[in-house]
Amino acid sequence: MSPQVKARLEWVAVHSFAVACALLFVLPFVFVALTALMTDEQSLTTDYWPNPFQWHNLADTWHTPGFSIWWRNTLVYAVAGTALTLISSIPVAYALARFRFRGRNLAMMMVIATMMLPPQVVIIPMYLVWAKQLHLSGTLWPLIVPLAFGDAYSIFLLRQFLLTVPREYVEAAKVDGAGELQVLFRVVLPMMRPAIAAVGLFQFFYCWNDYFGPQIYTSENPGAWTLSYGLQTFKSAHHTNWNLTMAATLIAMAPVVVVFFLAQRAFIEGVTMTGVKG
Amino acid sequence: MKRTTRRRLVAVTAALALPLAISACTGTSKGGNSDNPDADVTILFWHGWSADSEVAAIQQTIDAFEKDNPNIHVKAVGNITDDKINQALRAGGSSAPDVVSSFTTNNVGQFCSSGAFVDLNPFMAKSGIDPSTTFTGPQLEYTQYQGNQCTLPLLGDAYGLYYNKDMFAAAGISEPPKTLSEFEADAVKLTKTSGDTYSQLGFMPNYHGYESTTEHYAAQWSPTYFDADGKSTAATDPGLKAMFDWQKGMVDKLGGFDKLEKYRSTFGDEFGAKNPFMTGQVAMAIDGEWRGGMIDADAPDLNYGVAPFPVPDDQADQYGKGYITGTIVGIASTSEKQNAAWRFVQYLTTNTKAVVDFANAIHNVPSTIDALASPDVSQDPNFKAFLDIAANPNSNTTPASPNGGAYLVTLQDLGYDYESGKQPDLQAGLQEAASQIDTDIDQSK
Amino acid sequence: MTTTTTAAAPRRTDPRPVTARTRRRREALRNLAFLSPWLLGTGLFFIYPLVSTLYFSFTHYDGFSPPTFVGLDNWKFVFRDYPFFWPALRNTLWFVLVMVTLRIVFGLAVGVLVVRLKRGAGLFRTIFYAPFLAPPVAGTLAFVFLLNPGTGPVNTILGKLGLPEPGWFNDPAWSKPALTLLALWGVGDLMVIFMAALLDVPKEQYEAAELDGAGAVRRFRHVTLPHLRPVVVFSVITGVIATMQYYTQPIVAGEVASGHIQGSGQQFEPGYPERSTLTLPQLVYNLGFQRFDIGAACVIAMVLFVLSMTFAAILMRRGSGFLEVD
Repeated sequence: MSPQVKARLEWVAVHSFAVACALLFVLPFVFVALTALMTDEQSLTTDYWPNPFQWHNLADTWHTPGFSIWWRNTLVYAVAGTALTLISSIPVAYALARFRFRGRNLAMMMVIATMMLPPQVVIIPMYLVWAKQLHLSGTLWPLIVPLAFGDAYSIFLLRQFLLTVPREYVEAAKVDGAGELQVLFRVVLPMMRPAIAAVGLFQFFYCWNDYFGPQIYTSENPGAWTLSYGLQTFKSAHHTNWNLTMAATLIAMAPVVVVFFLAQRAFIEGVTMTGVKG
Repeated sequence: MKRTTRRRLVAVTAALALPLAISACTGTSKGGNSDNPDADVTILFWHGWSADSEVAAIQQTIDAFEKDNPNIHVKAVGNITDDKINQALRAGGSSAPDVVSSFTTNNVGQFCSSGAFVDLNPFMAKSGIDPSTTFTGPQLEYTQYQGNQCTLPLLGDAYGLYYNKDMFAAAGISEPPKTLSEFEADAVKLTKTSGDTYSQLGFMPNYHGYESTTEHYAAQWSPTYFDADGKSTAATDPGLKAMFDWQKGMVDKLGGFDKLEKYRSTFGDEFGAKNPFMTGQVAMAIDGEWRGGMIDADAPDLNYGVAPFPVPDDQADQYGKGYITGTIVGIASTSEKQNAAWRFVQYLTTNTKAVVDFANAIHNVPSTIDALASPDVSQDPNFKAFLDIAANPNSNTTPASPNGGAYLVTLQDLGYDYESGKQPDLQAGLQEAASQIDTDIDQSK
Repeated sequence: MTTTTTAAAPRRTDPRPVTARTRRRREALRNLAFLSPWLLGTGLFFIYPLVSTLYFSFTHYDGFSPPTFVGLDNWKFVFRDYPFFWPALRNTLWFVLVMVTLRIVFGLAVGVLVVRLKRGAGLFRTIFYAPFLAPPVAGTLAFVFLLNPGTGPVNTILGKLGLPEPGWFNDPAWSKPALTLLALWGVGDLMVIFMAALLDVPKEQYEAAELDGAGAVRRFRHVTLPHLRPVVVFSVITGVIATMQYYTQPIVAGEVASGHIQGSGQQFEPGYPERSTLTLPQLVYNLGFQRFDIGAACVIAMVLFVLSMTFAAILMRRGSGFLEVD
């Protein structure tokens, strides 16, 4: 077989396999989308094609009392959380990558230990403090405030990236008389853009889809719910509106998917730069 | 010692001591009952109802109350689950509710023993209400724990047998079964297999079959769950053992566990339009009085009847009894408007007209003796059957326990293991369950 | 021009000599400034609650009345008398061994596939990544319905093909595999980092290997895989982290598959079916927030902590080349 034919066949094989896989991946979404457009009665049957199409489900879901509030809360949580994470994590990552000090290894161990810490280990005392002593349960504060103190995962990734920045860049800037902070802002930060994008997107997606946090801290106050928690509100004591739940899912997912689609180049470049790959 | 070492020691000790000190002050959130109930106040009322008709009904009751008590404004929030109640009561604060209503009667023991709800006995005494002449025996039983009446019943539920009259006629059965042997015979007659599944099942005995649960069945034997010392009687009570054996017998007679489980997985949502009884997948079902309202709404052509659930052959003279439970309502101990809250709770639970209207509106059983006897209660024959079950002196309920429904979960798990064959030795299983229940209760003290 | 310094001229000294000590102090302050938010955060959100959790594990506390000291009672209860603890532990180990491994293998496979695509790579990447972005509750619900043993499309198709129809989320032997399928569907995050790594392998090495006569498989083993080692280590670490926290999907799957209606008065059955989907985080929630037993919940939290740190230590030793500080 000539190499051209072989290459052609390979191309066909790879692409058909990719298409098959993609179809499998998309199947659950198709199901979600179809269910979102069904009537309530049809939503649990083996009738998989909506009959009739209930396009108004999407509008109904949007107009569910509280839905726009959850939307706003999710946005606040994700945006504020991401911003605070980046602002607080970058200096820490910089210090851990660039500065030499006694206890640096210990600090690094602590970062890794914090990364590996499941939130459920510390949730009970944290909840008690927020609820009983600060009376801030039922708000978004318990979710956002901790992110102002750095996020271990982000610190770790950013630090990995900063290790790859050659010393010469930093030394050159310092020779020009710049202090550490100026070096960070003027020289290093611009270089870090894809890494910051990647880390920021990770954090954004995490906040957007966080379920455990909102369940613990906001469940008692529907005015503070986020989309991921509010989804299960279409389940009431006696009835579940599966079609509306699925419609809400579509609406909740749309922004993050769009963000990823638009930012994937920067995202992947950033992932590369964080040195995760070695 | 060296300066750095000492510094380190101080740092570490401080790091450990400070958190300990902070942990020790866990903060309290206590309310009070010194408020003036005639002052202008707003109280927060959390409840679990969510369907439009139910929410409208509770709102009507609230409107009537506010008309009688113009100085008390009630702000109601619906669709509240117990997780949210627990968290709000622990946290306290201004957004915590004053009056709380819950469907989970099993948590009453926890609510009472932890002090989450206040004891209503003093309030009732002040208002001149004698609970024993106002509420029925079982209703008082599931709303209190060890003398602490921390909740009151807010409408009740009774369980009985729903049967499909058309299927009965087709199978030549003239009236609903009264004893369990009649029931078994009928169930077998009403079952039609189709290949390796069913086209019609007489009755779904499996414990996951919605309301076919251990405690609902067990009521027909009038068991005692705890002895005078609060220890579990699972290993010794003859009724519980008989119930497990009976259920296993039903499972075997109707086709075996696996076949029934597979059929059960085709059932629609319990509270949706595709409920198996309403679609004709099962001919008989054990269910609560609310089912009638749903059938009328979603399956109006279903020709059905209601009767008390059959009793064991050796208790045939007690036919007419059933499992009783209900919604409960209480006043949060963190509330600072307890007197105003009591006015509302008193109205909700004892005002006969309010109780009857609400019961009719959401198709539940009225929760006071007077209301049950009232001529204004819906006279629909299918509904009346439940009123009779609720009023029957032999009807019973599951007692409260300090760790909520944990003992019911233990018995339930035994049921799952026994029906599937995982636990072949029932007596050993009961023994284990009893000791597990006792250990769990000790743990919660 | 030459400059001379006469011996008699006084030496110019800086009024504030920048001694090594001053510099060190300045550096220390600078370090502190950069690290302070994180230091504070670690103290407030790690050290303090950890000590608190340990403290509460020795108390009987329901959240309403003040805690009372009970010594080792909670510990004895959890390890000896609590029937849900050991199944949850076993499940966690199962998930670590099976789910993490399969996710890595599958993520690598999909990554390899996607880097071979030229046209429409962006679209494929989005399709494969998107499930990772699905809200966990919604994704789980979708899968529970897709895999419904009686009415779901998957079993319907299997039935038509004459294949056995597993009970998926209703069968204790299949519930963890069903959850694994859900996790594989969301493998996008691993795919992305594997892709980044694969694209980074120097082309010359492939060409050199080809010249040496190595086939595709051997090229993969000897050129690609060694380059991937850091990513694999990283994936194992993040995978184990996620497994330790695995909470939303199993709890939602168990609840929905069992038909349990929240708030209707029915009993919550942890780990349906037959405790096969129980995980330790679920027990923390159940004991601490539903059963009013904060003491026992904190015992489980401590077990979770020890388990996570043990894995962390093992993985750090294994992957030490990757995580080393220079």
